[in-house]
Amino acid sequence: MKKAEKSRKKIYKQRGFKQALPFLLPASILLFVFLIIPFFFAFYLSFTNTRLISPIPPRFVGFSNYVRMLGDDLFGKALLNNFYFVAIVVPLQTIFALFLAILVNQKIKGSTTFRTIYFLPTVTTMVVVAVIWTFLYHPEGTINAILSFITFGKWEPIDLLNTERIAFPAIMLLSIWQGVGFQMLIFLAGLQEIPESLYEAATIDGANKWKQFIYITLPQLKNTSIFVIISTTILAFKLFDQVYIMTSGGPNYSTYTVMLHIYNQGFRMQNVGYASSLTVIFFLIILGFSLIQRIFLREEREVF
Amino acid sequence: MKKVVSILFVLLIFLGISVFSQVEITMWFHSGRGEEREVIEDQVKRFNAMQNEVKVIAIQLPEGSYNDQVNAAALAGDLPDVLDLDGPFVSNYAWAGYLRPLDEFMSSELKQDFLPSIIAQGTYNGKIYALGTFDSGLALWGNKALLGKANVRIPKNVEDAWTFTEFMDVLRRLKELPEVTYPLDLKANDRGEWYTYGLSPFFQGFGADLIDRETYMSAEGILNGPEAVAAASWLQALFEQGFVNSNPPGYNVEFLNGEIPLEWAGHWEYPQGKGALGDDLVLIPAPKFFKHVSGMGSWAWAITTNSKNPEASWKFLEFLLKPEEIVKMSNANGAVPSRYSAIELSELYKVGGPLNIYVQQLNTIALPRPVTPGYPTITLAFQDMIGNLIRGADVQEILDRAVRVIDQDIESNQGYPIY
Repeated sequence: MKKAEKSRKKIYKQRGFKQALPFLLPASILLFVFLIIPFFFAFYLSFTNTRLISPIPPRFVGFSNYVRMLGDDLFGKALLNNFYFVAIVVPLQTIFALFLAILVNQKIKGSTTFRTIYFLPTVTTMVVVAVIWTFLYHPEGTINAILSFITFGKWEPIDLLNTERIAFPAIMLLSIWQGVGFQMLIFLAGLQEIPESLYEAATIDGANKWKQFIYITLPQLKNTSIFVIISTTILAFKLFDQVYIMTSGGPNYSTYTVMLHIYNQGFRMQNVGYASSLTVIFFLIILGFSLIQRIFLREEREVF
Repeated sequence: MKKVVSILFVLLIFLGISVFSQVEITMWFHSGRGEEREVIEDQVKRFNAMQNEVKVIAIQLPEGSYNDQVNAAALAGDLPDVLDLDGPFVSNYAWAGYLRPLDEFMSSELKQDFLPSIIAQGTYNGKIYALGTFDSGLALWGNKALLGKANVRIPKNVEDAWTFTEFMDVLRRLKELPEVTYPLDLKANDRGEWYTYGLSPFFQGFGADLIDRETYMSAEGILNGPEAVAAASWLQALFEQGFVNSNPPGYNVEFLNGEIPLEWAGHWEYPQGKGALGDDLVLIPAPKFFKHVSGMGSWAWAITTNSKNPEASWKFLEFLLKPEEIVKMSNANGAVPSRYSAIELSELYKVGGPLNIYVQQLNTIALPRPVTPGYPTITLAFQDMIGNLIRGADVQEILDRAVRVIDQDIESNQGYPIY
């Protein structure tokens, strides 16, 4: 082990930065042009009163966009909604994805078919999914019809997406359904990495399936889980398509999200300066949240 | 042989010259309904074929994100020579300096031939920036058979329109018919510009408005005053008391099926309604509330300041605005022809025609949506407000919020000074 490590280090010293540069370059240029420059540009715009189209030259307004944010109750509401969404969707979706991954990892006939079926919603565009679910949730739609059928007609059809308490959970349900396939796939890859010999040894030691799951599967999946949780969290914060199409943030802002607020401010009201300051703050919030997650869920990595 | 070669040579030179002297202009248009699109495509083709000075290259963009794309192109300095814009957004582009005034091209006879609504919607700061080949009509579509069953008087012209009390009485009587699910359809699911276009006339009918039209500086007391509260409460009650469906399953299915007898909608329903209901389809003028108001405004053509060939661009617009061409479009999409000379030619809109009521409305009671560069925010605030209103929010609270949003936008743009 030590010997191998030493020779590895040697190789890294020999092949220095010069060799790495050509490989880094294409990705770095793209990152720089499409991520880093726009980010700093947004930072700059957030201190101006730039309008999307305007004959008035933009000027610096200092922190007034940030001050305005303090009095923006919709931003606060949107932020709370985002946290609510993350708090419900991330754990549920992760657990459900793990459950599905274990199911389709069984070595039985037809498991590939199920993998494909569970993965189908993920490859479908969110816009299409949202439109279809809008019909499903309609008072005269399928979901109300099913509920009415299983309660022998006692169920009073409700307008799911237009009822304040129900609209957001309804959107969460659809989001989990749509997103779970992707996480399932990552978990599946993680599951197949676990050496079969561990399970064999455990079986010989007399461990039952549940104990194998707790003491072998879960610890072995730690890195995968961390990746899944963090990426799901970030995706959940970016919630936009579903609410934009299905409710436009209503009823009474119960499904209003920060991304929707930024879009409305920046594009529809053409208030680019203010929208930029919103993105900067939102970025910092997500960054902080991810850092906290990192501290609590430390990845185990092989470090050379 | 020599002769043939020399003829060919002359021909080649001739072709070369004609190609050289030809001016190319690009044009953007929103892909509206199928019939509308086909007419524009055909018009471009015929225009290019009938003369060889100007060649139009037409590009269509999806309607949903049309404004976003035009904004982006304007920022990047990539606007085409000619484009069509939704009426109320014209002032925003004109203010920002992207549109070229059309007055220099227009004779006073031409100006007077247009409907007053077209001029009102296309004018910003005293200059005309956009001209539509058609305007829109907003009124009630009725099902004659059902209205007859409820013993309801059907108004024949604008002066004869239902009053507020009569309108409410009509709704109550229609609600009692057993085959009727809801007496009226307001397209509650058609979020977006429809809310402002279709429902703000009710507010104006109550004496409220979207903004103070004297100064365009504030909506305080206008959109949240007692008149606005009355209008909003009345509208909310229509939904709450089962007069209007807050979530209709389709766009106009129930009206076409004969389950809903009245539909508050635009001219664009005519072709489908006629097909489904035949002679039972009847156009009823907008009811007369405390003020008699209806909506107006539609897509209109403009020339950008980016265009290097404004004369050539105008030549093309002149062609689109010919009475015969206007009628062709109007026959395809059912919209109101924008010129009186075209209205005379139109079977649908001439005096005595089935849709003439729209012309009467546009001449007398139609009110443009606020002609101010701040319109994008006004309409968004109003749409948001209506969305919450339909879903039962507190009236005063949402009106106050809309006013706050509008006023803040005006303030942060320094009152939209004329540049």
